[in-house]
Amino acid sequence: MATRGRYFTTLPLVLNAIINQTRPVDKLIVFDDNDEPKDMRSEMIYQYFFKMLDIKGIAWEWAYAEKKGQHHIHQRANMMGFDWVWRVDDDAIPEPNVLETLYSYANGVNETDDNYKVGAVGGSVLTPPNLFDTINVTGLIDNIDSEPNIQWGKIERVKQVEHLHCTFLYRAGVCDFNTGLSRVAHREETLFTYALHRKGYRVLAVPDAITWHMKNPEGGIRSETKKEMYDHDEYIFRNVLQYRDKTVVVLNCGLGDHLVFSHVLPSIPNAEVFTCYPEVVPGRSIAEAQHLFGSLEHLNVYRKMDQWKWKGSLKNAYRKLYL
Amino acid sequence: MIIISPYSKALLSGKQNPKNYPYWEELIGLIKEPIIQVGIEGEKQLVEDFRKNLRISELRELIQECKTWISCDSFFQHLGWDEGKQGIVLWSVSDPLIYGHPENINLLKDRSSLAENQFLWWEFVEHQNDRFVKPKEVIQYL
Repeated sequence: MATRGRYFTTLPLVLNAIINQTRPVDKLIVFDDNDEPKDMRSEMIYQYFFKMLDIKGIAWEWAYAEKKGQHHIHQRANMMGFDWVWRVDDDAIPEPNVLETLYSYANGVNETDDNYKVGAVGGSVLTPPNLFDTINVTGLIDNIDSEPNIQWGKIERVKQVEHLHCTFLYRAGVCDFNTGLSRVAHREETLFTYALHRKGYRVLAVPDAITWHMKNPEGGIRSETKKEMYDHDEYIFRNVLQYRDKTVVVLNCGLGDHLVFSHVLPSIPNAEVFTCYPEVVPGRSIAEAQHLFGSLEHLNVYRKMDQWKWKGSLKNAYRKLYL
Repeated sequence: MIIISPYSKALLSGKQNPKNYPYWEELIGLIKEPIIQVGIEGEKQLVEDFRKNLRISELRELIQECKTWISCDSFFQHLGWDEGKQGIVLWSVSDPLIYGHPENINLLKDRSSLAENQFLWWEFVEHQNDRFVKPKEVIQYL
């Protein structure tokens, strides 16, 4: 959970809800992104929370964040080595069965589903009194401008969608949060879950997992209001959609790496290449890629090999990254 | 004619690149054929014929003309492989199973000398002479 400006408003409600889940979390990590973070061990109500976590045997950690936005926080959580991460907003209060319900879909809708991996699972995120009728909502990215988010209404049956928002359970370490977004991280959850969908993982909206989203006007990780930040992030989001039929390749690496990649390129369908050495692998500039897509870290082959604890050849690492 | 490409990319810190072979002079003394050194301005000249700052197309032509080539782990070993000309690569801290090509002759003294993390900057790895095979061993493969 990422938190900012809500120590004494909705954050205690959310902590209480997490502590009382029917399927306890293996570890609770609160990423404190406050401008002036406090040591909450000195606050009585938090002392009770920490005591309850200890009594229930739930490991917990209070981590101080970098004040760069919640996409950086969630990327940190994403790379911590957990199999699944349940991201919860600091003003979104899950009912006690939410994690148990979401996790029950982690291995597919039924036991024969294991060939088609689930990447993310989300339930309803209701903001009273605004409950939308989402029974006919598709959850397809193409309809994002023309229909409400499927999570804004009561979900009656499992539906495969292409994106989720706000709070959901996700398979960690598969896709990256786009850390090139501004501090407001507009569209970060949409981009992240859509990336899981694009990678071939199933994104599910499921019933009987309600989170009450209070949209507390005070505080919040997105308390910045600068329009330019939202415009910047929207630009990146639209570019991702515009290039979705292409395989975006970013060769922000050495000359030798380009030579190796040139042997993989013919196998990559519809490649749009951004390159440091166009004389070896023709393409557009890295600066242009950064401008279009924000962060390029998810396409940094060295970072990926490090993440994968890679032992194979560089050529096969490129294959894994792009094929 | 044999091409040598002695140096890997210079490090920003000014420290010696841990991939640079330390025994070139001795190795060159053992080679009984004409040698062309390739590299860039600022690198130490080891033989009379030192061709600096060649374009990739010019390097490709030179590779096609040579009998073979010897290089540390630098872009040149990839270029030789790309040209389909077998050469000798002198390894130390980088892993030939990751960065090398089985079509080349990859000489690594001992896998225990490999850097623990293969994906960080080489700035953080110290250069050590004893991580490399000695010239007499290299010459056996020429």
